[in-house]
Amino acid sequence: MQSNAAYATALARAFGGALLFSFPLLMTMEMWSLGVAVDRMRLVVFLLLSLPMLLGLSYFAGFEPTFRLKDEVLDALAAFAVGVLLSALLLWVFGVLGQNSLFTHATLGKINLCAVPAAIGALLAGKQLGGRGPGGREKADAGPLGELFLMAVGATFLAFNVAPTEEMILIAYQMGPWQALLLVAASISLLHVYVYGLGFPGEERRRQAGGLLRTFVAFTAPGYGIALLISFYLLWTFGRTQGVAPHEIATMTIVLGFPASLGAATARLVV
Amino acid sequence: MPQQTKTSRKPTSRSASPKAPGGKQPSADDIPVLEWIAAGVGLLLAATAVGFTAWDAIFGVVSPPSIEVRLMAVDPTPHGYVAQIKAINHGGSPASQVAIEGVLGDEKANATFDYIPEQSSATGGLIFKGDPRRGPLELRAKGFADAS
Repeated sequence: MQSNAAYATALARAFGGALLFSFPLLMTMEMWSLGVAVDRMRLVVFLLLSLPMLLGLSYFAGFEPTFRLKDEVLDALAAFAVGVLLSALLLWVFGVLGQNSLFTHATLGKINLCAVPAAIGALLAGKQLGGRGPGGREKADAGPLGELFLMAVGATFLAFNVAPTEEMILIAYQMGPWQALLLVAASISLLHVYVYGLGFPGEERRRQAGGLLRTFVAFTAPGYGIALLISFYLLWTFGRTQGVAPHEIATMTIVLGFPASLGAATARLVV
Repeated sequence: MPQQTKTSRKPTSRSASPKAPGGKQPSADDIPVLEWIAAGVGLLLAATAVGFTAWDAIFGVVSPPSIEVRLMAVDPTPHGYVAQIKAINHGGSPASQVAIEGVLGDEKANATFDYIPEQSSATGGLIFKGDPRRGPLELRAKGFADAS
């Protein structure tokens, strides 16, 4: 019974985290229209990719202090449930779902699209709201691959918050090629400064990894690569690349790569 | 009661954290029932979400929006007759910025619907000076943009 009560607390915390992390998206108009308009196959791919990501995230920041695979799977599934239920409830309260008949695939698409960031929030809540001190279960054992995974999650998380908006495309249209190159330089420098220079969590370990050049090769360069890759994937998923000239796609990816690289750099802050 | 549960919870969470790194048996067996339920619900929802979406992706009808406009009711107001309309998209793709026109004799009224998902409907109103119930009223969708 006590363990049930403890789990209920963890679950409530997960709902709290999901709410905190996903309400900006739930209250964004583009998320609703994208839920209707997104290509169904791409939505399936997105959902299927989100499950292993939740699993990995559960390993690094689950709402239970565990390491075992069975628990990670259970946590990831519970987080998905929290994400779906919370987005369904909130979207309904916001009157987003009521407009069309319920249980159509428009409704399903809206909920599915919002459920993923909410589920990520549910898992992050374990760390953010859990009152576990820093370094309690700090991912000291995150190897180079784990580090890259965390960067990918951080990039996804920050980029997802702005990726659905029209502004990403508008900014890309407004920017000239030189401005785009400047933004690339800024993204890489900021990524490097965040990773190497500022006193953010996880920094000491990276400094131990070697000198400035070593950090650049080991963290900054792959980090920016991941940020660009995830930006392009999100734009593709949202159908933003459809019928767009390659150089505009590149600019859009660079624009979205800016928040994504900030997310990758500060993954340790949120994850 | 609540105080009691609070005090009784603390030791469990304390004892749970040192247990984990040790990887000892006790916590492996007593996974709370609630955890199984939560995970079960999650599995069910994940399967439903992926299943329905995949089914839609593979077997869903791909056809352009086909929009029917129906007159639902007419309400006389001090500022004209409000013809309440319902636009139903029978087609296989969503339409956005749907332009709807009503022609009543030589009077025209327009409305734009932001979004009509496939197999769904949206409602709105057209405002006429004359009574739409009397004259022949023609309702139709004039155009749309592909949803993105």
